[in-house]
Amino acid sequence: MSEPLVVMDGLTIRAPTRTLVEGVSFTVHGGRVTALVGPSGAGKSLTARAVMCVLDVDPGLVGGSLRYPALDPNVDWYEGVRGGGMSAQQRLLARTRHLRGAYFTYSPQAASSALNPGRTIGRQLTMAIARRQTPPDNLGAEIRRILQQVGLQPWAAGALPGELSGGMAQRAALAIAVAPKPRLVIADEPETGLDPVLRRAVVELLVQVCKDEGAGLLLISHHKDTVKRIADDVIQLRGQHGETGGTA
Amino acid sequence: MKRTVDVDAQPVVKVVGLHKTFVQSGPWPWSESREVRAVRGVDFTIAPGEVVALVGQSGSGKTTVSRIVLGLEDPTNGEIWLDGERWDDQPESQRRGKRVRYQYVPQDAMGALDPQQTALEHVVETLTVLAGKTPEAAHDEAVSMLDRLGLGQRLHALPREMSGGEQRRVTLARVLALRPKLVVADEPTSGLDPDRRESVLQDLIGNLPEDAGCILVTHDMSEARAWCHRIFAMLAGRVIEEVDLRQDAPVHPYASVLFDPWSGPLPTQPLATEGCPFRPDCPRASEADGDVCARDEPALSPADPRQHRVACHVVEAT
Repeated sequence: MSEPLVVMDGLTIRAPTRTLVEGVSFTVHGGRVTALVGPSGAGKSLTARAVMCVLDVDPGLVGGSLRYPALDPNVDWYEGVRGGGMSAQQRLLARTRHLRGAYFTYSPQAASSALNPGRTIGRQLTMAIARRQTPPDNLGAEIRRILQQVGLQPWAAGALPGELSGGMAQRAALAIAVAPKPRLVIADEPETGLDPVLRRAVVELLVQVCKDEGAGLLLISHHKDTVKRIADDVIQLRGQHGETGGTA
Repeated sequence: MKRTVDVDAQPVVKVVGLHKTFVQSGPWPWSESREVRAVRGVDFTIAPGEVVALVGQSGSGKTTVSRIVLGLEDPTNGEIWLDGERWDDQPESQRRGKRVRYQYVPQDAMGALDPQQTALEHVVETLTVLAGKTPEAAHDEAVSMLDRLGLGQRLHALPREMSGGEQRRVTLARVLALRPKLVVADEPTSGLDPDRRESVLQDLIGNLPEDAGCILVTHDMSEARAWCHRIFAMLAGRVIEEVDLRQDAPVHPYASVLFDPWSGPLPTQPLATEGCPFRPDCPRASEADGDVCARDEPALSPADPRQHRVACHVVEAT
């Protein structure tokens, strides 16, 4: 199995009146597709946010440890945050800012609506590529290569999001998610609201592009058939009480 | 689902030769506009008690057909008959009073609710304004309908205090309390989790009046299979197969992609503008006589609309 990117151990998050996520442990490996599944309210999105250290729940993180072994196996990023409430979570947010959009990228639901409507796709790709540790030798060639990888013509670099069709905008959003050469792409229900044929096309493209770019993929999904066909590992969150993690 | 369909009675909906062409403008003021033929010849009837699904990919014309049936859009060509009465050529002043019988469940429940009204107020207002009930009668009926949909404890909740499923139920309660003859539901479960979808559909279809027809627009094939008497699969503005999935398997080469996208290769070519739209990707086109698939667009056959029908030059309905 390839190197672990994220090791979460015993994640527990509480709101004032109830426990949102309890004792969730899992490992996300590079170059593989890990699906995060569970019924509504099981804390799928919250767990994904916890992986990115984006938490703003009160009292929030009360237990667990988070390591990014590919970055530094010895650092527990939750050290000093557990039980510290909102202010500790804000400090964590600031401390991990350089990792978001670089070590991992996030592709929200309805990814195409996350595009900046006032900037061309090429400009948005340039900004995403600037997050890399080593800049490419030829920026223009790199933009064309990424566009080709998601199945877009070079002219898309000069287009504003409003000039693209829905499917093309979705591809552009995917290009921006992989442009920083992240180790891990976190996608929150990329197939929401799509018709069944497009759903498969989008998910397959997402998996293919992540594999080509050598990134791991953490996929939140509702669709059993999607998970069954593409996931290498499955993290199953159970209902309101006693969630456990595991791989299948 | 135990709804009886009265196929001999006067149909709730009869659609004849429906066409709709939109003029679409480009992203800029100086972009050239183009014509989009969203619906290109659709005919069907829906009997009292019948639940029909419209399925198809985005852009296949499902929503346009369902909106035209209710008179929310005007057809470019064709006739709509509701309850034996020609509907599309009536002026809005005549249709307005009758709209209470033909109701629409929108896709975006939150956007369809007034942020300042409680669940109960939504339903009471609908009953007093549209159905002309007295406030007292409307109150009792609204409470009873909300209670049937499991919102008995949430009567005074505002939309923002409700979950997605509860918001849907308020839009359903508002429609069902009117005891409509026809309900058109445009993806009433989109954005909900699988475990909540089931119960929303149970609430909708389980509480429909016995003689009401229902058109369910959906992307979810398992939903259509479980809840609908007939499924109309649409492609490029036409119905290409009408099937009861509880009895027959779909046979159209495109329907197998639509109903189970993981079963084989996905279509990659743009749809053809002449002949059968699916021909460029169709695995069966080579079996046809000569170039009939490239030349003629197939019609639904057999002619009897109550049977399993398919529009293809190669395969036949079972």
